[in-house]
Amino acid sequence: MATMISGASSPLYAKRRRKNVITMGLSYAATAFGLSWLALILGVLFYEGFSGLSLRVFTEMTPPPGAAGGLLNPIMGSLVMTFLAVLFGTPLGILAGTYLAEYGRYDKLSSVVRFINDILLSAPSIVIGLFVYEIMVATMGHFSGWAGAVALAVIVVPVVVRTTEDMLTLVPDTLREAAASIGLPRSLMIQKVAYRAARAGMITGVLLAIARISGETAPLLFTALNNQFWSTNMNAPVASLPVVIFQFALSPYEDWQSLAWTGALIITMAVLALSITARFLGGQSKKS
Amino acid sequence: MSMATFTVPTVAQQSGNNDDLVEKVTIKDLDFYYGDNRALKNINVSLYHGKVTAFIGPSGCGKSTLLRILNRMYDLYPNQRATGTVRLDNDDILAPGQDLNLLRAKVGMVFQKPTPFPMTIYENIAFGIRLYEKLSKSDLDSRVQQALQRAALWDEVKDKLDANGLSLSGGQQQRLCIARTVAVRPEVILFDEPCSALDPISTAKIEELIDELKEDYTIAIVTHNMQQAARVSDFTAFMYLGELVEYGETTRMFTAPSDRRTQDYITGRFG
Amino acid sequence: MNSSGRRPVVDVAYQGGGVISAAEKVDRAKVLQKLRFGDTAFRYLTRAAAIAVLVILSGIIVSLVYGSLPAMQKFGFSFLFDESWNPVTEQFGAIAPIYGTVVTSIIAMLVAVPVGLFIALFLTELCPMWLRRPVGIAIELLAGIPSIIYGIWGLFVFAPFLQQHVQPFLITLFGPIPVLSNMFAGPPYGIGILTAGLILAIMVLPFITSISRDVFEAVPPVLKEAAYGLGCTTWEVARYVVLPFTRVGVIGGVMLALGRALGETMAVTFVIGNAHRISGSILAPGTTISATIANEFTEAVGDIYTSSLILLGLILFAITFVVLACARLMLMRLNARLGK
Repeated sequence: MATMISGASSPLYAKRRRKNVITMGLSYAATAFGLSWLALILGVLFYEGFSGLSLRVFTEMTPPPGAAGGLLNPIMGSLVMTFLAVLFGTPLGILAGTYLAEYGRYDKLSSVVRFINDILLSAPSIVIGLFVYEIMVATMGHFSGWAGAVALAVIVVPVVVRTTEDMLTLVPDTLREAAASIGLPRSLMIQKVAYRAARAGMITGVLLAIARISGETAPLLFTALNNQFWSTNMNAPVASLPVVIFQFALSPYEDWQSLAWTGALIITMAVLALSITARFLGGQSKKS
Repeated sequence: MSMATFTVPTVAQQSGNNDDLVEKVTIKDLDFYYGDNRALKNINVSLYHGKVTAFIGPSGCGKSTLLRILNRMYDLYPNQRATGTVRLDNDDILAPGQDLNLLRAKVGMVFQKPTPFPMTIYENIAFGIRLYEKLSKSDLDSRVQQALQRAALWDEVKDKLDANGLSLSGGQQQRLCIARTVAVRPEVILFDEPCSALDPISTAKIEELIDELKEDYTIAIVTHNMQQAARVSDFTAFMYLGELVEYGETTRMFTAPSDRRTQDYITGRFG
Repeated sequence: MNSSGRRPVVDVAYQGGGVISAAEKVDRAKVLQKLRFGDTAFRYLTRAAAIAVLVILSGIIVSLVYGSLPAMQKFGFSFLFDESWNPVTEQFGAIAPIYGTVVTSIIAMLVAVPVGLFIALFLTELCPMWLRRPVGIAIELLAGIPSIIYGIWGLFVFAPFLQQHVQPFLITLFGPIPVLSNMFAGPPYGIGILTAGLILAIMVLPFITSISRDVFEAVPPVLKEAAYGLGCTTWEVARYVVLPFTRVGVIGGVMLALGRALGETMAVTFVIGNAHRISGSILAPGTTISATIANEFTEAVGDIYTSSLILLGLILFAITFVVLACARLMLMRLNARLGK
C-alpha cells in the first residue's frame, strides 16, 4: 500500500479539505435551490392553469364576474400588438445593428450607440410605457392599440440591434473580402452575403424579442389600456393578455382568478416554445 | 538598412527577349502605410498580360500587402493608405474618385482560405454574373458551366449544382472560388497563397489551372513556397522587409540571382 | 498528363473563353454607376437607424422631464424626502416608493448574488459534462418566465406560504434580539417588502448565474491548471484565482441584475402591499416606484397627481441609468482585460 504524501494528514490540510467540502456542498445546494423554484413555479402554473384550459378560453370574450367566458379578445389583442411591434421594431433594429457591425464598426458614433442600446435593453419597461404615454396617448387624447404596439416596439429594438450586431460580427471578414473582390458594392454585399450568412442568428434574435414582449405588462397598462369587448379598432383601447391577467388576478372573483391562471399558462407556453425554437435555430447556425 | 533608390531593371531590358510583352499593370514608387508604420517602401514593378508573376519572400515582407493594393482591398479598413501610382492599362487606380467596384470587377482575387458564399454551387457563380448582366436562364446556365469548366470543376459538380457550396472539399471549394472569379470576366487575377490550405493533389490541380488561365489574363501570385513559384510563374519578384529586392524572369531568378539577399533566401539561408 | 484534361471550351454559348469585350466593359460600368445611388442610400439609412436609437433615449428623457415639470415646480427637492401621498390634498412625496425600491432590490441582491455565484461555480467546476447544458437551460428558463407569472404565483402561492410558515417563525426568532426584532416585527401579512424582495431574488438569480458563468468560463485554463498543479482545492482555485480574475465582470453582472431588479414592476406590484409609508419592519407592506405607477397611473386625476407619478418614473429611470451605465463600463473593462 502506498504511503500518503507527507502533510496530507496535517490539521491544516484537513481544514482546507473541510472548507472545500462545505463550499462544494453549498454549490450543489444552491443549484438545487434554484432549480426547485423553477419546478415549483412551473408546477403550480400548470396545475392551476390547466384546469381552466378549455376550448371556451379561445373562443369566448372576457366575461363579467360571475359569468363564464374566455380570453379571445385579449389573445387577439396581444397577437396583433405583438405583430405590429415586431413589424415596426425589427427593421429599425436590423438597420441599426448593421450600421454598428458594418459601416460604423470603428467609429465613435457606434461606441455611443452600443452603450446606449445596452442601457435601453435593461431599462424599466414601465418607464417606456410612460414615454409612449407622453408622446402618443397624451397628444392624441386617448389610449390606443397603436400606442401599445409602439411601446412594445421600443422594447423590441434594442434586442434586435444587439443580436443583429453580434451575428453580423461573427461573419468572417474573408467572406466580405470575397464578395468585394468580384466588385460587389458594399450594400449588396451586406444584403446578399452577410445577412444570408447570419440569417439563422438574426431570426433567433427576432424570436427572442417576441418572447420578451409576450409577457410585458407594464408598457401596456397606460398605452393600450384594456378592453372588455371584441374590438378591431386599433385607435382605441385594446385588450391584451398580460393586462387582463393583471386585472383578473387582483380581483376578488374566483372565476376571474382562474382565467388569470389559464392566461398565464398560455403566455408561458408561448414564451417557452419561442425560446426553444430560438435555441434550436441558434444551435443550427453554430454548426454551419 | 535599405539601399537608396535601387531601380529594378525592366524585364524587357533584362531578358533581351523578343516576346511582345504587354504591360498590364505598372507600379511606380509605391509606399503603403498601416497607420504610421511604413509597410511597403518604394515598390516598382510591372505585371504582363498572358504571364504569371510570382511574389516570394519571408513572412511579413509585404507581398500580400502589395497584392491587396492592386484591387484596393485595403480600402475596407481604416488607417491604411497607399501613395504612388499603380496603373492598370491607363488608369491610376490609386487616384481619388476611382470606382472601386468597377476596379474589383476588373481585378479578381482568390484568397488563401477558400470562401464560397453561403449559397448553392450554381448561385455562387451566377451571383456575380447577375450583378452585371441580365441573361436568360439558358445563357446564364451556359456561363455558369463555362466558368466551372475553366476552373476544372464542372465534371465533379455538374450533377449537384444545387448543393451548398460549403459541402465541397477544400480543393473543390478553392476551384469554386476560382470559377466565381473568372465568371465575372476580369482582366487581372490575383492569387494570395491559394494553395496554402490545401493538400498536395489539390495544389497540383490548381497550379495546372493557373497555367491554363494565364493565356487570357494577367496573373499575380503570392506564395511562400519557392518551388511553387518556380513551377508556375514566368516572372518572380523577391521581397524583403517591405522592399522589392529583385525581379526578373523566373529561371534566371532561381539560377543566377543578382542580389545577395535573393540568393540567401532561395538557398534557404533564411526564411 | 494532367488529370482534369486539357479541354477546349466547346459547346457553350460564349466563345473566346472568359474574356470580356470592350462593349461589355462599358455596360458593366453603367450598371455599377446605377447601383451607386442605392449603395449610398443604404449606408445613410443604417446610419439614420443607429441615430434613431439615440433619439429614442433622448425622447424618453425629454418626455419624462417635460411631464414631471408641474410636480417639480410645485415640490422642488422636498419631493425626494416627503413621505406623504395624498391625492385629495395633492401632496405627494417620493421617499416611500424610493425606500421600497431600494430595500426590495437590496434584499434581492443579498439572496441572489451568493446563490447565483455558487450555481455558476457548480456549472463551471462540479457539474458533469452531460448535465451542464440541461441545467444551464433550466436556469435560463427562470429568466424567460414573464414577470407577471412571478406576480400571480407570488400572490397566490408564495405570499400565503410565507405568511403561514416563514414569517411567524422569523418574528419569534428575532423577537428577543433588540435591533432585529424591529426589522422583523409582525403582524405576518404575507405580502410586503420581504416577500417582494425574495421574489425579485428568484427573478434576478438567472442573470447573475449566466453572466458569472460566462466570465468564469473565460478564465484561461492555464491559470486554473497552475493553481490545481500546486494542490489547491476546487474552492481555493475559485476563491483565489477565478474570482479575482473575473471580479470586475462579476460586479458588472451584479449591477446589471440590480438594474433589472430596480425597474421590475409586475412581480413586485402583486406582493408589495401598496402602502405609501416607510415601516421599520421588512415584513410590513410598502410600495416601490414601479408598483406605485402601475397601480395608480390610470386612475390619477389632476395634473399634479399625474405629474408626480411621471416624476417618480424619471427618478427611477435616473437610478437605473446610473446603475446600468456603471455595469456596462465594468463589463467593458473586463473585456479589455481579456484582450477582446
